[in-house]
Amino acid sequence: MSGARVLVVDDERQILRALETTLRGAGYEVETAPDGETALTRAAARPPEAVILDLVLPDRSGIEVCRELRTWLDAPVIVLSAVGEERDKVEALDAGADDYVTKPFGIDELLARLRAALRRAAAPGDPVVEIGELRIDLDKRIVRRNGDVVPLTPHEFALLRYLAQNEGRLLTHRSILREVWGPSYQTESHYLHVYVSQLRRKIEPDPTRPRYLLTEAGAGYRLVAPAPS
Amino acid sequence: MQRGNPLAPLAGSAAAVVLVTAAIFLLRDSVPVLSLGSLYVLAVLPVAILWGRSWAVLVAIASMLAFNFFFLEPVHTFRLSDRSNWLALAVYLATAIAVSELAARARQRAAEAEQREQEEALLGELSVALLQGESLVDELPRIGSATGSVLGVEGGSIQLGDEAGPGFELLAGTRLIGRLTLPDGGRPNRSAVRRFLPALASLLAVGLDREELERQALAAEGLRTSDAVKTAILRAVSHDLRSPLTAIRVAAESLTSSSLQLSAEDRRRQLETLRVETRRLDRLVTNLLDFSRLEAGAARQRTELVAVDELIGQALSGVDADPVPVEVKLPREIPFVEVDSAQVERALVNLLANAQRFAPMGTPVTVTVSAGDEEVILRIANNGPAIQPHDLDQVFEPFVRLAGDDDREGSGLGLAIARSFAEANGGRVWAESPPVGGAAFGLAFPLAHVPVEVGR
Repeated sequence: MSGARVLVVDDERQILRALETTLRGAGYEVETAPDGETALTRAAARPPEAVILDLVLPDRSGIEVCRELRTWLDAPVIVLSAVGEERDKVEALDAGADDYVTKPFGIDELLARLRAALRRAAAPGDPVVEIGELRIDLDKRIVRRNGDVVPLTPHEFALLRYLAQNEGRLLTHRSILREVWGPSYQTESHYLHVYVSQLRRKIEPDPTRPRYLLTEAGAGYRLVAPAPS
Repeated sequence: MQRGNPLAPLAGSAAAVVLVTAAIFLLRDSVPVLSLGSLYVLAVLPVAILWGRSWAVLVAIASMLAFNFFFLEPVHTFRLSDRSNWLALAVYLATAIAVSELAARARQRAAEAEQREQEEALLGELSVALLQGESLVDELPRIGSATGSVLGVEGGSIQLGDEAGPGFELLAGTRLIGRLTLPDGGRPNRSAVRRFLPALASLLAVGLDREELERQALAAEGLRTSDAVKTAILRAVSHDLRSPLTAIRVAAESLTSSSLQLSAEDRRRQLETLRVETRRLDRLVTNLLDFSRLEAGAARQRTELVAVDELIGQALSGVDADPVPVEVKLPREIPFVEVDSAQVERALVNLLANAQRFAPMGTPVTVTVSAGDEEVILRIANNGPAIQPHDLDQVFEPFVRLAGDDDREGSGLGLAIARSFAEANGGRVWAESPPVGGAAFGLAFPLAHVPVEVGR
């Protein structure tokens, strides 16, 4: 994974410098941009393998930059948001960002998110996804937990499939609804809450303390391999 | 109400009786004397009008006695030979008394009307004063003495409050507004007291309520404003704390992380970030303290004579020379100003930090000092983006960030503080867009008169 080229976009010189040094120290190749225009130009000149993008930039919003990058770049985008910018954060995720960290973040958190995003981007479209005790066969539409088949309704399966294909990635309510139920349902978030609750009862050992299907308050859901307890 | 000297009605009454008696004396040969008795009505009437019922009755009795004494047989006695004359005298007396009664009533009504008019005039005047927002407490002495004179006494005073005490209670319904005390020995018009004081009390109650509401409204407004300021401060502070904290956390954690491979140069860079960002946090805290002190009006000047290059030198030690250096251009003759050097240094530091913040990487900020006949002008310029004409004044408002300035260093306090400190020291500050490009801020102070031996 190391050696990947990362583009860091932030207008705070000191943050840019600290991140550049840190990422280089972690083995990445780093490019920086102090504003949105420069970021788009640099990304076009040498497409990065991941982008770390501050949401508030002097010339244009990080959301716009993210949307524009998404039209031609598949590399994962991690946005830097701040308390009080929750709405912007969700909008950026809807615009195609893969994940976010909240300022002031620790480097371990940022590096972990970056590693996960790069791994997802590199992973081939394997028809069988294994996450912890779950084994999801996307082609045959069969889900097993510890070898036992878990019976799922078509919508429950579609929900789990979308989450599994984006393992570890934060998916917004809107994007899940659009993907699973269709574009006309993308604001019907109560559908989603009901199905998430049903799905948890089938795949989680303890649905009240979910370890696979995690809630990101106000933003969306994330399917992860449970941390060893 | 005529009061005071009782000699005037006594003399007037006597004169009226004497005058009519003299007239009858002159007429008694041409007119039957008995019919002339009715002329005494002419004495009773004016006395009744001028001095009231009692004097009129007195004049009527005195007139009949005089008529009897001087004109009815036997003259010069109070006896009467003709019995029918008794009847005539009785009729005259009754007539005189009836006339005096009528006259006195008319007179009393006129007096009452005048009294009420005075009362209403005073109430009207008070209403206007209170509605125009004059302070009730300021007006109280005037209201007290005006009330006294309406009630027929000299002076008077009003105490607000519901404590028991001497004087007349001012009751608006059942609510005790205060008390009216009149000077000792004054004899107020009782019916006016009964009529006027409740009206006055009601009016004062309205005035008091209005002032109370006004106070509450002001207090609420003050709270709202301070809430808005607090919200703005919190937002600015949380933003401004977060940016340096992010840089500090990333730099500090990278220095202690065992999984990262940092070169010596990398370590130096991270340490430099720590130094710069902690200094920035320090500046933020200083600005917040300055701002709260200025807001509380607690900033005091300790003015002293100080050379401008010294001021700039102090300010330069408060900002970083890296990555944006500051170049200073001084005139050959160093001007002096008389200011609180600590405050002006704060103003300068904020202007310099602002200019550095918007300077493109690698280009310097320049400080140019020029002295006119009366002013010293410090111009702080950079090659950064020009300030829009309509923003030139806006930039000095606290918590204002211009478009594109959303995530830059600075709380939106620095320039507001610079202006406050400049103005507190007799100076002024302004923003301009030089024709050569970039942005510039001017800071001007009155040129101080320097004794020759101090000058350089």
